[in-house]
Amino acid sequence: MPQCALDHGYGVVRGSNILLCLILWRRTMHPSRRVTVRLSTLSISFLAIGIGQQCSAGALDVQVIDADSRAIADVAVYAVPSKPERQHSDPRPTAIMDQQHNAFVPHVLIVQTGTLVDFPNNDTVSHHVYSFSEAKTFELGLYKGDAHPPVSFDRPGIVVLGCNIHDSMLGYIVVVDTPHFARTEQDGHAALRDLPPGEYTVHVWTPRARPKDLPKEVVAQIGADTKNVVFRIEGKLLREHDDASLTWERY
Amino acid sequence: MGTLLTRLAVGLLATVLAAPVLADGERGDRHELRLEVDAGLVAAATPLGSWTTGGFGKLRYAENDDGLQASRLFLEYRGRITPTLGGTAIVDYLDDASSGLGITEAYLDWRPIPKSRNQHQVKLGAFYPPLSLENGANGWHSPFTYSYSAIDTWLGEEIRPVGAEWSLRRRLGFAGSRQELRAFAAGFYGGDPAGTLLFWRGWGLHDRQTRFSDKLPMPPTPIWDATGTVVGYRDQWVRPLAEIDHRPGAYVGLAWRYSSRALVQLLRYDNRADVNAFRDGQWGWHTRFTGVSAQISLPAQLGLLAEWLTGSTYWIVGARPDGTLSPRAELVDDGFDASYVMLTRVLHGTHRLSVRYDSFGMTRAEATPPLHSDAGRAWTLAYRYARNERLSSGIEWLEIHSSRDLWSAFYALPHAATEHELRLQVTYKINMPTQ
Repeated sequence: MPQCALDHGYGVVRGSNILLCLILWRRTMHPSRRVTVRLSTLSISFLAIGIGQQCSAGALDVQVIDADSRAIADVAVYAVPSKPERQHSDPRPTAIMDQQHNAFVPHVLIVQTGTLVDFPNNDTVSHHVYSFSEAKTFELGLYKGDAHPPVSFDRPGIVVLGCNIHDSMLGYIVVVDTPHFARTEQDGHAALRDLPPGEYTVHVWTPRARPKDLPKEVVAQIGADTKNVVFRIEGKLLREHDDASLTWERY
Repeated sequence: MGTLLTRLAVGLLATVLAAPVLADGERGDRHELRLEVDAGLVAAATPLGSWTTGGFGKLRYAENDDGLQASRLFLEYRGRITPTLGGTAIVDYLDDASSGLGITEAYLDWRPIPKSRNQHQVKLGAFYPPLSLENGANGWHSPFTYSYSAIDTWLGEEIRPVGAEWSLRRRLGFAGSRQELRAFAAGFYGGDPAGTLLFWRGWGLHDRQTRFSDKLPMPPTPIWDATGTVVGYRDQWVRPLAEIDHRPGAYVGLAWRYSSRALVQLLRYDNRADVNAFRDGQWGWHTRFTGVSAQISLPAQLGLLAEWLTGSTYWIVGARPDGTLSPRAELVDDGFDASYVMLTRVLHGTHRLSVRYDSFGMTRAEATPPLHSDAGRAWTLAYRYARNERLSSGIEWLEIHSSRDLWSAFYALPHAATEHELRLQVTYKINMPTQ
């Protein structure tokens, strides 16, 4: 749903009626009428169906490629606004870090600070999930199914997940202090939509790159249109999947 | 010691049986009991007889065993007694061993939740030292071939520490890195006669692991008269896992792993046995060895495994089974070494083709000229198919070429021998997860 910011973030108009939008914008220029405008904005917001230059949300299309210009999937992309945004009071939906076939699914999960994450174990064997990362130290004792309540991730940072029974299980939760995040698709693209206009610092992170090879963050000015940013990871990347030639569960 | 192990195994099995009462249903299956039956058709050819009946043959079977054979039936328990304390016990039944039922492994392993990149683990009980790359399937079986390599056959026959192993695992590098280093050290009792079977019989290639209750047959010792003529033979046997001198042995090692793609392990083992110690018909053999094993995943679903082992053993030639020494008894230090390279490939997810080349030998360096004995090589070709989680089958061809002066000098056997074994095997597994 596109968001249109009026008067430095106050009042939200949804829709695409240019005329109504412009009227509202003109009226906000008179300080004495601001309160009225805000009330009007709220009351008529469902009628407003226009996107004007000044009342639209921008978007960011981020592409992550390697040194040979090949797309890299599952990279965490997040944009931190330079000016703090008004926080939504709505509770954030609970995120899910599943366990299937002795692996964490997804391999990389991105959540905003304060998000609850559920760790259902859908394997036929029990797991014992833990992390000693600075951003979140926790332990979910040996279990199957939904034995444990969701875990809250309150500090930004990288949380490395492990299983005390299965050494090969590794997963990552990227906890970010912004609601604007996405994960790159197979084509290496990630779209961040509904960005209120302003300045953002855009970051990328993947466990497959060495920290020194991760591209520096980029400052982007977001207006009403879509801005494209390309990140190139120059160093060698770890391979994505493990080969099965030396595993022997079935025999 | 055998009694202690029996108690440990019985204790673990009792935990399983009590599990339905103890388990918290929502917390999942903590205990798993698995029954596996290995049986099939065997056709073997050897001029040396099978070692299981006191021959020099390296195979488990000889011509008179041709036909249907149940090679092993075992019950394996693996479970978590508490979230950080696990237990493993393997009880198996063999119809060609001195005792039908026996325990191959029984141990507890404690893994506290890591508070940093360092992960500690402590194992207590009877277990294998970490060297074999073949024996990763249940019951220390190989998922690749039916007969183990010369190295791993020997580990299965004579090496089974009873003690405590501590290990420290550390993930190396950055957050996403899949490299880890593991250091381990153990102190143990048992395994004092280890080396006895290897030197009397020579290397072997088969799938029979020694249980703590087993008494293994060996080729008989010649009895000489004063002129040096063989006038008869005396039967002998060995309990390779026995404790004789009450002096602990030790092993240390390192392992480096890169995800599931590459693994290199290094092990130094020393049973520190007293060669003058004698108990219940058994002498101590001071056996120590260094082993290196490595595996790598190659493109196109290919995997390459290799192991190398070199060591030596001090023992007294002329030490009699009654505890006395013959007037001509002397202490010797015999060397042994073996290696193998195996290439394995998964086909269509459920089929596997493996080919292995083994080479092995023994040397008495102090003799003039140096005495080389039991020099040989072997080829193993195996195809296996897993029909489902329960049923798998396969076929294996094993060919061994070896030579030894001893055979022709004292036993009227050929100096060199070629042994063959063809095996058509079916494996049936029943998993019994308990709540």
